[in-house]
Amino acid sequence: MIPLIVAALIIPLLTAAFILFARARIVIKRIHMAGSIITSTVLLTLTYGIYLSGPVGQGLLYMDHLSAVLVTLIAILTFTAALFSLSYMDKEVAHEPSPGKAVKRYYILFQIFTFTMISVLVVENLGLMWVAVEATTLASALLVAFSFSRAAIEAAWKYVMVCTVGICLALLGTILLYFAQLSTGLEGEALSWLALKAIGGKLDPSMVKIAFIFIIIGYGTKVGLAPMHTWLPDAHSQAPSPVSGLLSGALLSCALYVMMRNIAIVRDSLAFDFIQQLLVGLGLFSVMLVVPFLLVQHDVKRLLAYSSVEHMGIITLALGIGTPLAVYGALLHIFNHAIAKSGLFYLAGIITQEYRTKQIMRIRGILAQMPRLGSLFLVFVLIITGAPPFGIFFSKFIITWAAFAGGFTLVGTALLVLLGAVFAGMMHYSFQMVFSSQTGTEHTTPMGAGAATAVIVSLLLITISGFYLPDALETVLHQAATIVTGG
Amino acid sequence: MSLMIILLMFTAFLLTRVTNLRTAVSILLVQSVVVAFSCLVVGLETGKTHYFIAALLTVFIKAVIIPYALFRIVGRLKREKETDSFLSPNLSSLAAVAATAVAYGFIDRALPGIISRDALAAAVAIVLIGLQIIMIRRQAVLQIIGLNTMENGLYLLGLSVTKGLPLIIELGIFVDILVAVAILGLLTYRLKLSYLSTDTTLMQKLKG
Repeated sequence: MIPLIVAALIIPLLTAAFILFARARIVIKRIHMAGSIITSTVLLTLTYGIYLSGPVGQGLLYMDHLSAVLVTLIAILTFTAALFSLSYMDKEVAHEPSPGKAVKRYYILFQIFTFTMISVLVVENLGLMWVAVEATTLASALLVAFSFSRAAIEAAWKYVMVCTVGICLALLGTILLYFAQLSTGLEGEALSWLALKAIGGKLDPSMVKIAFIFIIIGYGTKVGLAPMHTWLPDAHSQAPSPVSGLLSGALLSCALYVMMRNIAIVRDSLAFDFIQQLLVGLGLFSVMLVVPFLLVQHDVKRLLAYSSVEHMGIITLALGIGTPLAVYGALLHIFNHAIAKSGLFYLAGIITQEYRTKQIMRIRGILAQMPRLGSLFLVFVLIITGAPPFGIFFSKFIITWAAFAGGFTLVGTALLVLLGAVFAGMMHYSFQMVFSSQTGTEHTTPMGAGAATAVIVSLLLITISGFYLPDALETVLHQAATIVTGG
Repeated sequence: MSLMIILLMFTAFLLTRVTNLRTAVSILLVQSVVVAFSCLVVGLETGKTHYFIAALLTVFIKAVIIPYALFRIVGRLKREKETDSFLSPNLSSLAAVAATAVAYGFIDRALPGIISRDALAAAVAIVLIGLQIIMIRRQAVLQIIGLNTMENGLYLLGLSVTKGLPLIIELGIFVDILVAVAILGLLTYRLKLSYLSTDTTLMQKLKG
């Protein structure tokens, strides 16, 4: 198992190196696709291995069921994003002065970004996890700035500044946690997650409390929780669409993963009330704050980005409720949201390329002009807003149920009302874009085969996950929930 | 050690007042040298090689490479200087004083009787001042310097309360900072190209 983890880290880097030395664009794309497929296969094998034989770890590397859930997600998302990039990026760089170089830069950064996300999930040490999270910001910042347009530079600048400041606060929290660990005088590797988990109850509560607040503010910035979410709509809307999909689906989930690792540690020493209030408050506030932005929005990709803030809020709220059912719902929701949102961003990418604008006002009559694209987009919007019978409906259902069952009646009611408002906003704009009568030119470019496959794979996965999860995934999800709740 | 902390606080305060970009980079350089010295002091006290390696790395990355890169960027930005900050230099120094008071008050209330209280409070204060510099200053380069100040504060914090982090983590942090400065430098350069200025408040295309 350990060699496989090492392989999962090395393959993306090797792929990036090969791309660096390749010349023809077709060769670059082949290397990129081959690398992504091998990485995803290795990652899925790892999940299956964890399902069969339980946690593995050696030295600084460690994987358990919680990492397995996220690793599965990364495997699926990097594969679909890689596939979608092929035709999308060809069109995207067509107007660049030197398209060959731009494509090369994109695929190299894509692979490095994949590497940084995988490294967040397979390191055992909270300090190294911090290093890896900061590395994801840096790798993806250059992807956000890819076109170097004014808007892209602004988005990337805000992204690096806000997230690095946030993550600095997380480092402050992590150092304080290390201090708490040292103060116990017990043996154990510095900041080792397993060691901290083992001595969780013996840590000094007042120190852990301060550390935890900084950690939540810090990683919460990276998760995109309000009021630290300001960078998110900019970065996610300016990045090339496959990257937007990865940022929203995979990277936010990785940040949540680090938050869950920290929650698992502090649960033993902090009053449970405190964790609940902090997380439920932040989560509900995030959902509340995005509603006006979803109701009055002019940019289709920003609409989707704000919806990501909403979903991160829902998940944080569920983690705050903290019952096994709620945490299971949260993990399931992470999974469903990632697949649905990345698919939606891919579709939005095709739409913005066809209409050459992100302005909702200027996108009209998709259904009439491109029936397949229009209907797919509508289905995906229905999925993301939680229409049955798709996966997201069930995970949202579980979370609200857990809220009522856990005694959060008011929170549960508020959440339902807010979700209704979000549904209204998203449907309103989608109807405008999909149905209203067509004006202007015909758009008839067929969807590229790779792009179509990527979207269909996402659609199939999210539809199936509403009815059936493979036994391996179901077990891994339940085990992961136990890890977060301190089992 | 107290001397080092006082020197660090002093450089942080100076940074709230400068308007010339080149001077600001020089102050950051001095600040990084002081951080490296504090690391050396801890090394001499404990006699562990770990600290000597960390001090060397600090000098190499924070006092040589990063200032060199920043000087090069500043060299390209002719006639850029800080004007019309969100707060005037006097007010921002006052804000830094307030931040220091807040840091001491916070540490005394939240963790009464903790060892190395002064170092801890000073470190938190430097982190806060770094944050203020990022929020108050308009020039991209000064914001990068603010970020580095924050990081230096964190390094001091680690050094004073936990005698530093394990070397492998510190190594990772160094690499991250280096890459962060490189990327922000690249973005600053692009900013100059497309806005003809590195005033970050000009960037306001993305709203709502």
